[in-house]
Amino acid sequence: MLSESARMSSAQEAAYRIQYPNSKQRAAKIIALDKTSARIVDEVSRLPWHGAAFFASLSFAPKGSPGDGKDESLQAWLSDLAGRTMELVAEVEASDFVVVLTAAGEDARAISIIADACKLHNKSLVGLVVPREGASDDAVNASLNYLRPFTRMLVVANGVDYVEAMLRALRA
Amino acid sequence: MLKKEQNDYVTQTGPGTPMGNLFRCYWIPALLAEELPENDCPPVRVKLLSERLLAVRDSEGRLGLIDEFCAHRGVSLWFGRNEECGIRCPYHGWKFDVTGQCVEVPSEPAESGYANKIKLKSYPLIEKGGVLWTYMGDPAQQPPEPEFEFCSVPLNQTFTTKRLQENNWLQGMEGGIDSSHVSWLHRGDLSNDPLFKGSAGNKYNMSDLSPVFEVVENDGGLLIGARRNAEDDQYYWRITPWVMPTYTGVPPRGDHPIHGHFWIPIDDHNCWAWSYDYHPTRPLTDAEVSAMRDGKGIHVKYVPGTYIPLANKTNDYLMNREAQKAGRTFSGVEGIGMQDASLQESMGPICDRTKENLVGTDNGVIMARHRLMRAAKALAEKGTIPPGVNPEHHKVRQAALLLKRDVNFKDGAKEALIAKKGVRQTSV
Repeated sequence: MLSESARMSSAQEAAYRIQYPNSKQRAAKIIALDKTSARIVDEVSRLPWHGAAFFASLSFAPKGSPGDGKDESLQAWLSDLAGRTMELVAEVEASDFVVVLTAAGEDARAISIIADACKLHNKSLVGLVVPREGASDDAVNASLNYLRPFTRMLVVANGVDYVEAMLRALRA
Repeated sequence: MLKKEQNDYVTQTGPGTPMGNLFRCYWIPALLAEELPENDCPPVRVKLLSERLLAVRDSEGRLGLIDEFCAHRGVSLWFGRNEECGIRCPYHGWKFDVTGQCVEVPSEPAESGYANKIKLKSYPLIEKGGVLWTYMGDPAQQPPEPEFEFCSVPLNQTFTTKRLQENNWLQGMEGGIDSSHVSWLHRGDLSNDPLFKGSAGNKYNMSDLSPVFEVVENDGGLLIGARRNAEDDQYYWRITPWVMPTYTGVPPRGDHPIHGHFWIPIDDHNCWAWSYDYHPTRPLTDAEVSAMRDGKGIHVKYVPGTYIPLANKTNDYLMNREAQKAGRTFSGVEGIGMQDASLQESMGPICDRTKENLVGTDNGVIMARHRLMRAAKALAEKGTIPPGVNPEHHKVRQAALLLKRDVNFKDGAKEALIAKKGVRQTSV
């Protein structure tokens, strides 16, 4: 007689796996940290997604701007691809995870405030370094060094096609 | 998550499939050398990439991997007589050499040349590092021999086993590059297993259960770094190389032998899990070899006379709930190899990846799938030779080391990640 493990791991039994959804739609926020990665985010955002929101830039709030009364160090504004402005902290709070993109060697300093917002709301932050034409290894290293302290997962991709692949895999 | 068509694409390796064509670009482990121990020994049935084959060692020690079935009436040549430089079908006496060439058809006059027109499909079979390797692709594209370090060191420095794993190859391979499961599934073994215990690095594994990951593409595949906090403004890095399509290296611990795996498709529902252990600079000790033979480390105990693990699905992997409850094992299954295999087999013959929910720390797995599909597509559309075929890509080594926090692992471990003859592994 077959053991339970032998029966249950068969192809025949696989057909009886419950076909109900096992997860709800997740809210992914994808944020470009620089102009080069913004172009990639713009391109990727045109594909069909399940609730992912794409942002092309981050700006810091001047004193006295909306959001007064909150931690001023976290006052920043995201611009989506339609030009609308959203408050960073609110967007992060409403997310399930955040992905930041930077092109190798570009200015990635904006990640620190995004990371603070993620920390405030216990959200996972993934960093993706994408290629930039003519960028040297030193440029890649500089990006890695900047992103490393802030991310749970850091990826260096050789091609921009990985951006879509990763977001699809994460059900963005 | 993968779409169904993507899951099919990346898991199917039979003849004519995109991933099957990709696998056929590489030398892959086919048998252990011990399976063909002497000239004219019994032939061995081998199924690889969904092709039924027969491994033969002839009277002069020549090795061959040929179609298992006689060209005459389809009898399995496993029943054949291995004699005088050929395998003779016991049914009507047709005889084939190790290249599959028919050399004798007794019912036809030798002068007729009939035998010359009969040839079974065959693949080259070479011995390297105690492993018999085959190349199942276009003969015109046959690459140079593999140069993985474990099969390049002297034989007394290396030890390789294989075990049957009853699931698709990708489930195994993905486990090999998924470093985040080690602190959970194998936590009981780091301090107990003779091939793991005692290394200084173990304390970092156990004190920091939330490693942070970095994935970097390299020429042959990926480098996956897992870092944990360490003293003096340092990180403890464990770096796992993946060489396409299916070689993985487990970062070392102390001066213990280095180990890793290949997962080689038998068919789409089964694979051989190959497990190697070697030391770059010294012979393995008797105690180490004895432990490996006894199923310690990444090796397993066998059903006698087979390469089937003793703990397997037919006996519920000898599940020990008491050991699980007491924390001696985390899953209740003993041994690192079977802890992995039991869970991977439980996913079913082919994991339904349409239902999975990956997280950011699964990027190593995501990137590996992406590279496999990208390479298979480039091969199909442009004939591009995939990464990992070039033997230079094999000369990578796993590493475990402490680095200052502002140092990139790919730079800080640059020398450590290169397999250099006579140079000890970098390990903590």
